[in-house]
Amino acid sequence: MKRTVAEINEKIRSGDVVVMTAEEVIPYVQSEGVERAAREVDVVTTGTFGAMCSSGAFLNFGHSEPPIRMQKVSLNDVPAYTGIAAVDAYIGATELKTNDCGYGGANVIEDLVSGKAIRLKATSNGSDCYPRKDIDTFVSLSTMNQAYMFNPRNAYQNYAAGTNSSEKTLYTYMGKLLAGYGNVTYSSAGQLSPLMNDPTLRTIGIGTRIFLGGGVGYVAWEGTQFRTNVETKNGVPMGGARNLATIGDLRGMSPDFVRALNLPGYGVSLALGVGVPIPILDEDVLKAAAVSDEQIFAPIVDYSVQSRNRRPIKHVSYAELRSGKVELFGKEVRTSSLSSYMKARQIAELLSERIENGEFLLTEPVAQLPEDRSTGTLEVRSREEAV
Amino acid sequence: MVKKKFMLVFTPDIVNEPIVYHLVKDYDLRINILRAEVREMGGRLLMEVEGKAGSIKEAVRFLNEGRVDVQELTNYVDKDETRCTHCGMCISICPVEALTMDRSVWKVRYDAEKCIACGMCIDACPPGAMKFRI
Repeated sequence: MKRTVAEINEKIRSGDVVVMTAEEVIPYVQSEGVERAAREVDVVTTGTFGAMCSSGAFLNFGHSEPPIRMQKVSLNDVPAYTGIAAVDAYIGATELKTNDCGYGGANVIEDLVSGKAIRLKATSNGSDCYPRKDIDTFVSLSTMNQAYMFNPRNAYQNYAAGTNSSEKTLYTYMGKLLAGYGNVTYSSAGQLSPLMNDPTLRTIGIGTRIFLGGGVGYVAWEGTQFRTNVETKNGVPMGGARNLATIGDLRGMSPDFVRALNLPGYGVSLALGVGVPIPILDEDVLKAAAVSDEQIFAPIVDYSVQSRNRRPIKHVSYAELRSGKVELFGKEVRTSSLSSYMKARQIAELLSERIENGEFLLTEPVAQLPEDRSTGTLEVRSREEAV
Repeated sequence: MVKKKFMLVFTPDIVNEPIVYHLVKDYDLRINILRAEVREMGGRLLMEVEGKAGSIKEAVRFLNEGRVDVQELTNYVDKDETRCTHCGMCISICPVEALTMDRSVWKVRYDAEKCIACGMCIDACPPGAMKFRI
């Protein structure tokens, strides 16, 4: 069985397309077999909704009278990066408001998506072409020229679960980790997660149209720290491997899928909804997309070890993690998820609906993402050693 | 017999009074202490009280006369459904399983009856859905 993206789009236009979520397709493939199911199913939709720290938005405010070349910018007192053209800025999700660790760039982005006005303050040294030295005003999605997310790292393929062997509670980006292996936290939608369902990125690449924050987005590039050299089980990496750099207009997004998170002791992050449609080009693509939580494994690492080399305590399946408890050193330990499975499911279902209604066409990648990539580390080096 | 939860707040000068003794002896109440703390500013006692409705009422009057501030706890912690993303971060944090995952729909359920107002979930909730109701 072979199928092309063009053929699938033809079926979407004629209303004949068969779409299933990555969850629905599991029992279907089990009962019908891969061969038969592949003939029936054209598209499998995926979804994830979790903390994606490496997110942010490019904004263009428009020119003031007289004009200013902004050299320092804050949005609701959260600093934004403005070392680009005069009235362009980038607001990063984890940037914190001055003297307040509970409000940050993610909150600004959520407020913008919610349609709220944001206080913009900017200063400049002034120049012949940009004489103005400061401005204090309000902006919103309806006043700005452009407001689009550009997220260097989204939708991680898999991620290590966290626990804590120490005697005190740890406040981490994996949430609150209770002392003495008091709990285990994890952060992946497992069987619903986009890159778990196409683990070698056969169908996902640069230019792939995706669901982003409730609106439409695209895969822009390989995500930062993208790597392929991770041990696999059942074809799926057993730890953080590939991920996507994404881009998409804030207009059209919804606060239901763009939510600021506050992780006390760590800072602010952005929970973002990402959904990727997988065109079922052949049986192998479907087989990969029918992967289930029982077949996907994540390492559990001890966050009290303050090193980049944290050896996994053990590997557990997402079925175990999602059951609410895992076994650790002969003891039952309760689990918590940082990403919302309910929202992941909602995203996959919404994407299915949009495809079935002919509102969302599939794309072929403009270019594939790297097949072979490893990540390096940062060492303290001399100028000579760095080249 | 009725069961109620109370938060008792008292100033340092009455910390040495055997309050619980009086509640048991004089009002025939079954007391389960859920949380207790004494600090420089005084003490707080969180307890579940079981007894006759009339006795509980009289006991509250006794406490108020003894300069103990008594607050009955009903829905001490609020879950803001518009903020909750149902991630489940709170599930493994809650010591009394007042917060549980309904696996049929993957939604977090909050049972206010079980809540002992420990506050563990408040700073564990990333989107900030859990708040003390004061």
